[in-house]
Amino acid sequence: MKSDDDFREEIEFHVDMRTELNRQAGAASEEARESARRQFGNATLIQEEMRRMHANTFFESLLQDLRYAARGFVRQPLFTLTAVFAAALGIGSTSAVFSVVDRILFRSLPYAHDGRLVSLGMIAPLDTNEFLFADAYFDWRKHQTPFTAITSFTAGVADCDLTQTNPLRLGCAQVEGNFLSTFGISPVLGRDFTAQEDVPNGPRVALMNYGLWQGRFARDPNIPGKTVLIDGQPVTIIGVLPANFEMPTLAHADLLFPEALDEARERAGRALRVFARLKPDVTLAQAQAAMQPLFESSLQYVPPQFRKEVQLRMRSLRDRQVQDARTASWVLLSAVGAVLLIACANIANLLLARATSRRKELAVRAALGAGRGRLIRQTLTETLLLGGLGGLAGCMLAWALLRMFIGLAPEGIPRLDQAALDPRVLLFTLAGSIASGLLFGIAPALQNPQAESLTGSRTAGTRRMLLREWLCAAQIAISLVLLVSAGMLLRSLWKIQSVPMGLETEHVITAEFVLSRLGYSEDARQHQFINELEMRLARIPGVGSLAISDSLPPSGGTRGRLLASMQVEGQPPFDKGTGGLIMWRYVTPGYFSALGIPMVRGRAFTEEDRAPGASSMILSQTFAQRLFPNGNAIGQRIKTNEWATVVGVAADVRNLGPMQPPEPEYYILRRHVPDEISRIQEPPTGWRQAKVAIRTSVNPKVMADWIKREFAALDPALPVTIGSMQRRVGRLVDRPRFNALLLTLFAGMGVLLAAVGLYGVMAFLVTQRTAEIGVRMALGATPGAITKLVLSRAAGWTLAGVVVGLAGSIFAARAIQSMLFGVEARDPGTYLVVLPLLLLIAFAASWIPTLRAVRVDPMTALRHE
Amino acid sequence: MVELQGTLVLLILKTLARGPNHGFGIALHIQAASEGLLRVEEGSLYPALHRLERDKLVSAEWKVTGNKRRARYYKLTSAGRKWLAKAEDSWDSMSKGVGRVLRFA
Repeated sequence: MKSDDDFREEIEFHVDMRTELNRQAGAASEEARESARRQFGNATLIQEEMRRMHANTFFESLLQDLRYAARGFVRQPLFTLTAVFAAALGIGSTSAVFSVVDRILFRSLPYAHDGRLVSLGMIAPLDTNEFLFADAYFDWRKHQTPFTAITSFTAGVADCDLTQTNPLRLGCAQVEGNFLSTFGISPVLGRDFTAQEDVPNGPRVALMNYGLWQGRFARDPNIPGKTVLIDGQPVTIIGVLPANFEMPTLAHADLLFPEALDEARERAGRALRVFARLKPDVTLAQAQAAMQPLFESSLQYVPPQFRKEVQLRMRSLRDRQVQDARTASWVLLSAVGAVLLIACANIANLLLARATSRRKELAVRAALGAGRGRLIRQTLTETLLLGGLGGLAGCMLAWALLRMFIGLAPEGIPRLDQAALDPRVLLFTLAGSIASGLLFGIAPALQNPQAESLTGSRTAGTRRMLLREWLCAAQIAISLVLLVSAGMLLRSLWKIQSVPMGLETEHVITAEFVLSRLGYSEDARQHQFINELEMRLARIPGVGSLAISDSLPPSGGTRGRLLASMQVEGQPPFDKGTGGLIMWRYVTPGYFSALGIPMVRGRAFTEEDRAPGASSMILSQTFAQRLFPNGNAIGQRIKTNEWATVVGVAADVRNLGPMQPPEPEYYILRRHVPDEISRIQEPPTGWRQAKVAIRTSVNPKVMADWIKREFAALDPALPVTIGSMQRRVGRLVDRPRFNALLLTLFAGMGVLLAAVGLYGVMAFLVTQRTAEIGVRMALGATPGAITKLVLSRAAGWTLAGVVVGLAGSIFAARAIQSMLFGVEARDPGTYLVVLPLLLLIAFAASWIPTLRAVRVDPMTALRHE
Repeated sequence: MVELQGTLVLLILKTLARGPNHGFGIALHIQAASEGLLRVEEGSLYPALHRLERDKLVSAEWKVTGNKRRARYYKLTSAGRKWLAKAEDSWDSMSKGVGRVLRFA
C-alpha cells in the first residue's frame, strides 16, 4: 500500500522542478512557484485520485474495511467483548457438541459404502440387539435375495491370552471368511482369510489388529507368516488390519479367527451377529420384506413357547452402532443450535443499537459518495470479523467443553473416544462463524443510511426498535424452550434417582475376572480356584461379608432360563407361552448380606446348604409372587437344572436400571465341589468368569490392594478389575444425568444471553427516551408512572416471547419424551418452576434500566434537547 | 481529459519506451514531442501513471536524481511493451482511417 506521504513527495518534486524551470526562464521566485502550482492543477484532488488508483482492488479495500472495523471495535471495548462473548458461547458450544454427535449421526463409518450395510437377525427379550442362531443363519445365507453379501461373526468377543513371555489378555473374535470383503476392508499387511481356512478343523490362522501389531510387535513388517501362542496354541498371523478397523458392534477385538461354522453339526448352535450389504437398488424396507418368509420358516428352530416373542429385525449399521444415542444426540444438537440462535439474535441486537448511534457517521459517508453497496459491504465486513473473532474464541471454548464432555460422559456413547476438534469440526466452526456473522449482520446491513439522520431528528428509530423488540421476544421464547426441556430432564433425573434399587451400594468393593482358557477349562480347576479365593479373601481383615457370583447386578452377563423349562412340584407343567426368560445367578452364601439385599421371607443361604445332598434356592419377590401368588413360596420344590427347595424370598433388585420394572430372578447356591450346574460350560466363557463383592468399612484403596495381592498369590498372570458397587449402579443413571446436565448448561447459557440482550435493549430504550421521560416528569409524572411506562413495554415483548416459547416447549417436550422417566410432556411441575424463574430473570434484567429511568433529572434531560 | 485518456496513456508509454523517467520528465517530453499541442494539466499525468503501475504496464521505484533529490522513476514493463506495440498498431490504423475520412469529406 502506498502512503499519502509518497504521493505528496512525488507531487512536490514535480512542482519544485517546474518552479526551478520557471525561475531559470526568468520568473521571480514567488511568481515561479505560483505558476508551477497552476500548471500542475488541483494537487489535493490529484493525490486523492492517485490513492484511488491503488485502493481500488478488492483485497485492498477489504483490508481497509477490516482495519476500519477493528478500529471501531477497539474504540467500543464493551460492545466488542459482549458480542464476541456471545458469539463464542454460541459457536463454541455448537462446535463441541457437533464434534461429539458428528461421529454418531453424520460421519461415515470406516467401511466402504457404509450406507448399504445392515445388521439383521431375530430380536428377543434375551438381548437388546438382534442375533441369529447358526442353524437359521445357514438357511438365510443360502436363500437370501436382497443382499450382495451376507456375513457373520460369533456373538461376543471372548477373552483370550497371548501366552508368550509377558502374557497379555486379548479380545478374540471369530468371523466368517467373507467378513472383511463384505465390509470392504482389506488388510494393510498380509492377506484376508481364504475359503480353505474358514472350515471346521481348519488351519489355526488369525488376523491381527493394528494396535496390537504396533504396540506389541513394533510394526514388524514380517509379521504375516509368523506364529504366536494364543491360549497355549500356536496360531499363524496371516495379516494386519487397517488402523481404523473396528468391529461392526464396536466391540474391541485384537485378533480375528475364522469362525469355522460346521453346517453339518452346528444345528442349535451358537448365536451369531449377522451383517449384510444391500444390493444397489434395494431399500431397507424391501430387504426386510424379502427376508420375512425366511424368518418365519426359521422360527422352527426357536423353542415353541418362545416363538411369539421373537421378531425379525433389520436396521442400518449406523443405527445398530448408535443404539439409543440418536435421540439424545439430536436433542443436544438442537439445544446448542438454539443457544447459537439466541447468540445471533443477541449480537444482531447489539449491532442494531450500535448502528443507531452510528447513523450519523453512515449518513456522512453516504453523503460523501460512498455507494450503498460499499456501505453494506463495510457493515458485513464488520460482522464477519466479529463472527471470526467469536469463532476463534469459540474454538477455545469448544476445546474446553469437549474435555468436560469426555470427562463427564457415561459409558456407551458411541465413538466418544474419537471425538476431537479435527479439521472437519473446525470447518464446521468456520462455516458456523460465517453463517452466524451473516445472520446477525444482515439486519443492520440493510438499514439504509438516510440523509435525514443528519438533521439530528430522533424519530427515525422506531421501526428499528420494533425489530429489536422482536429479537428480544425470540430470545425469550427460545430460552423458555431450553429451560422447559432442561427442567423436564432434571425432574426425570430426580425421579430416577429416588427409585430404590433394591440393594445397598455403599462400602461394597467389586472385583471382576475371567480365568484363562488355558489353565481353567475343567470345572474342577475352576472350583478349586474359587474355593481358594473365597478362603483367602475371607481372611482379609475388615472384610464384612463376601460374595462370589457369576454375575452382579445391575444386568450384564446374567444367565437366563425359560420359565417353561422349569417345573414346580405338585403343579402341572407350564404349557402355554414361555413366561419369558427368568434370570438367575450362581452365588455363594454371603451374596445377600454383601449386597445388602433384604430377605422378604425365609432366610438367606447358609454354609450348611452347601453340604453334599442339600439343594436350596432363593426366589426374588417378583418371581415368588408370580409362581406362588398365595405367598406360600417357602418350602416349595422347583426343578431348574436339578430339584431344589425354596428357602427364602429376596427383595427385588432393579437389574435393568431404575427406569425398568424389576425382572423375576432366582438364585442357585454355588457349592464347593463340581455339580450338575458347573458341568454346563456355556460358551464363550463358561464359569471361568466370576465376580466378587466385598462389604467392608476399610478404605477402598487399601482394600483394593489387599484384594489384588490375594489374586496375585493365586495366579499372578490373572488380570483383575477392581470397582465399586456404587459406581456400577451409578452408571445406570449416568446417561440421564449427562443429558440433563448438558441441557441445563445450554439452557443456562441461553437464559444468560437472553437476559443480557433484554438488559441491553431496555437500557438503550431508556437512553433514547431520556428526553421524553424528562418532559413527562416535568409535567408531573410520578416515578411509579415512569416505571409503569418503561416496564410495560418490556412486559409486552416478554409476554409475546413466553407465549411463543410455551407453544415451542410443548413440541420440544414431545421430542424428548423417550428420554423422560415419570414426567409427562405437559408436566405442570416443570412449567410452574421454569416460568416464574424466566419471568424473574426478565424482570431483573429490565429493572436496572427502569431504575435509571426513574432517576432521570428532568432539568438535565431537557437541557440536552 | 476523459477523451484524451487513451492518448495520454499512449504518450506516456511511448515516452517510457525511450528509457525510465520521472513524472516531470515525462511531462516535459510529451510537451516537447507534441510541440505544445497537448495542453493538459500536468497533474493529471500522475493518476494515469499510478493506474499504469497498478495494471503492471509500468513499474516504479524511488531513485535519487542528478541534483540529489528523491524522485519516483517509472519504467516500462514487458507487459507494457507488448501493450504499447499493440496500441500503436491500432492507433496507426485508426489515424489512417480518420485521415481517409477527412480527405473524402
